[in-house]
Amino acid sequence: MLHVDGVVGGYGSIQILNGATLKVERNQIAALLGGNGTGKSTLLKAISGLIQPSQGSITFDGQRIDGMRPDLIVRQGLVQVTQGKESYPAMTVEENLRLGAYIVSDRAKARRALDRVFTYFPILKDKRSQLSGTLSGGQLQMLCIGRGLMSEPKMIMLDEPSAALAPQIVLDIFRTIHRISRDGMTVLMVEQNVRMALLLAGYGYVIKDGVIHIEGPSEQLIHDDNVRLSYLGGTVADRDAGLSMRR
Amino acid sequence: MQYFVDLVIVGLSIGLVYGLVALGISLIFSGLDIVHFAHGEIYMIGAFIGLTLFQKLGLDYVSTLLLAIALTGLVGVFLERVFYRRLTRAGGGYTVAGMGMVIAGFGMSIALQNAAYLIWGPKPLPFPVPYGMPVEFGELSLPRSYLWILITSVTLMAVLHVFLKKTRYGLAIRAVAHNKEIAYLMGVNVPLMISMIFGIGCALGAAAGVLIGPINYVQVQMGISVVIKAFAAAVVGGFGSLPGAVLGGLLVGVTESLGAGYVSGTYKDIYAFLLLITVMMVKPSGILGVEAKVKA
Repeated sequence: MLHVDGVVGGYGSIQILNGATLKVERNQIAALLGGNGTGKSTLLKAISGLIQPSQGSITFDGQRIDGMRPDLIVRQGLVQVTQGKESYPAMTVEENLRLGAYIVSDRAKARRALDRVFTYFPILKDKRSQLSGTLSGGQLQMLCIGRGLMSEPKMIMLDEPSAALAPQIVLDIFRTIHRISRDGMTVLMVEQNVRMALLLAGYGYVIKDGVIHIEGPSEQLIHDDNVRLSYLGGTVADRDAGLSMRR
Repeated sequence: MQYFVDLVIVGLSIGLVYGLVALGISLIFSGLDIVHFAHGEIYMIGAFIGLTLFQKLGLDYVSTLLLAIALTGLVGVFLERVFYRRLTRAGGGYTVAGMGMVIAGFGMSIALQNAAYLIWGPKPLPFPVPYGMPVEFGELSLPRSYLWILITSVTLMAVLHVFLKKTRYGLAIRAVAHNKEIAYLMGVNVPLMISMIFGIGCALGAAAGVLIGPINYVQVQMGISVVIKAFAAAVVGGFGSLPGAVLGGLLVGVTESLGAGYVSGTYKDIYAFLLLITVMMVKPSGILGVEAKVKA
């Protein structure tokens, strides 16, 4: 579905990506992992068109999207939920969600999308008329993910959905992401919480110094010594948590 | 008492005109993070376009208003697309190009004045609109030109409000003004919205010009004194706030009118700035101003 090939780019004279290559298959949940400043968010920005790569190609659903304007990439069916839970605090939950359906001209379709988001995140339905500035961190994250789903995309990219959230809430959200994926969504997830990300994702990429350093199926990565030494500090308890999520 | 009411009415009318220009300035600032110093010339160009439509083409006043507003809006879009946008080439959008935009605004101001000079000449031109007899409200006699200002300004402001709050494009513009990156990721054509914001801001400035034109003369330098007061009005009301721009305009207009009427007409231009200084000392962010927004 998504093929990033040898992408080089960054911010002006600061080059962050040095030839990153990754693939996300249809219906897969792929995780992009790495420490701070390794280029995870930069890569997502490049895929979404907010940064132009100076080299390499990005193909989505058979279509070249590198160099495309960001709003046109969204219209191709590729959506990003940025980190930082950015919403429009002066707008209500429902207004924020409706903004996510900006490109949807069919009102019935937008209505359906809204109903679907409410089934994934019932709390948003309860708070639909509240200003989004009043939401808690977890609810804001749900709002941002929900907003991304409003245009009924083919693929959604999540930038650190677990950031600054309590473990139980992260579990909650990840369970919903799993459910969304089972309903047919393709997901690329950037995460610093390597343990939880590999329990949810089927395939993982570890980025370091702007290139993909290690990749493989998550079961393999979890047991990979390099990954364990650098990024994991896991225990048996996480394995069990993973089993409960996959059900 | 009669004198006071007369002064207030004149002040409110002129204030609405300042308000329209201030609205354009605040709208452009809230949307694009830039201070458009050439806005007075937009006001002036609007007045000249209106005059040409009215006299040379013989259009009626309403059509003149609408067409001048639309054409000047397009001029604004042209300026943004062809000139101002180049300043953002280095990346970072208009926010980063801020200082460059300030200089560019001054330059554009001079360029537009000279363009107007070449097209319409240096002489102040009258803009005679047969409004009809002044309207009587009991003891009051209000020149119809002021009535036009009142009705047109309020209508334009109401239309802008409805547009921003109730329409899809208005939502997109508000989104772009608040956070361009997120707006892009929602599928909003951000460059188009930026041009629209600029065009609307210029259309408002032009409306002010066409409304004031018939009261004074239309001349190349008419924007210079107005833009400074419009900026003062925008700052007084809270720079970037749309209701603030209107409020600020009204306050500046009334202050100026009362000052000229009761204190001294010679130093008319000072009152706007005395008001500005006073408000800045009491509430630096302006009456309806908010603290600096977090921008993308």
